[in-house]
Amino acid sequence: MDGAVCRKKRKKWDVRNWTIFIVATLGLLVIIVFHYLPMIGLLLGFKDADYSSNLLGTLLFGEWVGFEHFTAFLQDVDFWNVMSNTLIVNLILLLLNFPAPIIFALILNEVRHKWFKKGIHIVTTFPHFISWAIYGGIVIALTDQTTGIMNPILNAFGLSSDVDPVYLMDSDHIWAVLIISSIIKSVGWGSIIYMAAIASIDPELYEAAELDGVTRWQKAIYITLPCIAPTITVFLLLNIGRLLSNSFEQFNSLQNAVNLSKSEVLATYIYRLSFSSRRYGYATAIGLFNSFVSLILLVASNFISKKVAGRGLF
Amino acid sequence: MSVVIEKKHQRRLFRMHWVDWIIYIFLFIFAVLTFYLLWYVIIGSFSNGQEYASGGVFFWPRGATLANFGVIFQDGEFWTAFRNTVLRTATGILTEVLFTALVAYAMSSKHLRCKKAYYWIFIFTMFFSGGIVPMYLLLRIIGLYDTFWVYIIPSVLSVYNMIIVSNFYKGIPDSLYEAAELDGAGELRIWALIYMPLSKPVLATVALWVAVDHWNSYMGTMLYTKAGDWTITLQYYLKHLINEASGVSSGSEYSDLVSAKTISYAGIIVALIPIMCMYPFVQKHFTKGIMIGSLKG
Repeated sequence: MDGAVCRKKRKKWDVRNWTIFIVATLGLLVIIVFHYLPMIGLLLGFKDADYSSNLLGTLLFGEWVGFEHFTAFLQDVDFWNVMSNTLIVNLILLLLNFPAPIIFALILNEVRHKWFKKGIHIVTTFPHFISWAIYGGIVIALTDQTTGIMNPILNAFGLSSDVDPVYLMDSDHIWAVLIISSIIKSVGWGSIIYMAAIASIDPELYEAAELDGVTRWQKAIYITLPCIAPTITVFLLLNIGRLLSNSFEQFNSLQNAVNLSKSEVLATYIYRLSFSSRRYGYATAIGLFNSFVSLILLVASNFISKKVAGRGLF
Repeated sequence: MSVVIEKKHQRRLFRMHWVDWIIYIFLFIFAVLTFYLLWYVIIGSFSNGQEYASGGVFFWPRGATLANFGVIFQDGEFWTAFRNTVLRTATGILTEVLFTALVAYAMSSKHLRCKKAYYWIFIFTMFFSGGIVPMYLLLRIIGLYDTFWVYIIPSVLSVYNMIIVSNFYKGIPDSLYEAAELDGAGELRIWALIYMPLSKPVLATVALWVAVDHWNSYMGTMLYTKAGDWTITLQYYLKHLINEASGVSSGSEYSDLVSAKTISYAGIIVALIPIMCMYPFVQKHFTKGIMIGSLKG
């Protein structure tokens, strides 16, 4: 009975529309419950929620403290230490870990034997599928002072000794360990996308260049690189948007009491504040700050990229 | 003319320049190093724990033994964690792939009104989130905290995968849909009988991503459970094993054959076996999938 009215008012709102509407809305519901409802919980960042044993009660009726948590962490030395760890590690990663797969793809592209290319790719992609719990365990094993292989290698270069072995998981070396292990874990997998981009380049470009007697180096720099530039831009944007985010599992699995002062990043700091110190309000405020700055970074870099390169993420 | 070029090209293919040698050697060394990461743990897991402790076990097991694996396999907690992870991965694949594909179908359908609004509501969650305390609070309120379903229900729809599948659906010719429509097939029928079989490659890729995520994750266990009987996961269990091994106390409670270190290596190998077994077969799917994903640019 209602259907007739509906059909008259909005044309073709039939059973197909209904089915599709219900399915899409079901999906939307899941997203609203598990992604948008928690955003209401962000109000905890403006409430006196620290050490609360009844978070829901605090969220609904707790005392407002305004931006107190925000001013508190902005004046906290610990916070700035964590912030600088996060920024420095991520900047180094952006400088080294981001271009590594691009260079790797370019190098792999120079390999002419298909079986070799494939073999290398299969082996180097594998670490991506190892969990951080396990990968962290492997790194810890390799850098162990008595049984690890890293110390004998360092000995050979005179950088360590049997009497006083270097502990690579301490605060002085942890950044290098984090960055090198990140690169080894992700370079193979990360290069897949660039290899796909390279594979889709028109071979005629290379043939024309070959007729002109262009060297391989020039081909890589003047043909391949510009052709995959759009892909690079997209991933650069995504990476800039993640300047304040780290894989919680990556840092958690390599942290220990000795290197904590250098390996604590926002992701792990927020976890520690929430679940060890139970400073829910304070931690939520830092989390909100983190998400907000990340969003701004992404939107800004997207905007700049659209202006300069003519294309962005969205 | 073109034959000449072809020949020239052919000849170049097989002449190894010194640059080629450098590239080949570099790549070979890098691959060997990567493989060594794994090999190092394998030999550790087969080594005698006490003899291993004196160091220098780099290429071959010392005092070869299976005792480390014995300790793992006799640990009840290992089997609990293993069962939970297998269950979680299987349930996760089934629910997540089906639901994600279903929503992707709706999102690619021309019958959906206000598609842009849906799209943006979905997309926004990829760039902004409530964070861990609000999520923890939500899970407590709706009763998912510290239950097995905390691993399944919140992640039943992945926006990223949904967009990839929906892009794939958009590439399926309209004529197929119209033919089915003329035959009077309903939307769900069209999805299940036409779109699902056609999208097998992309669904396989998504299923593999989901599987690896579920198998490898331990953050959820730390944050949203108490790691009890139905919530402890394999990676969480391993994390503890590794922490124990790198701690000060070396396992005096064990027999002479093993140590906390070598036991943790055995645990690592056991947890890696499923991934190592399926990896050679599915590797190309991962590659294919990432290319499908890249089409959206």
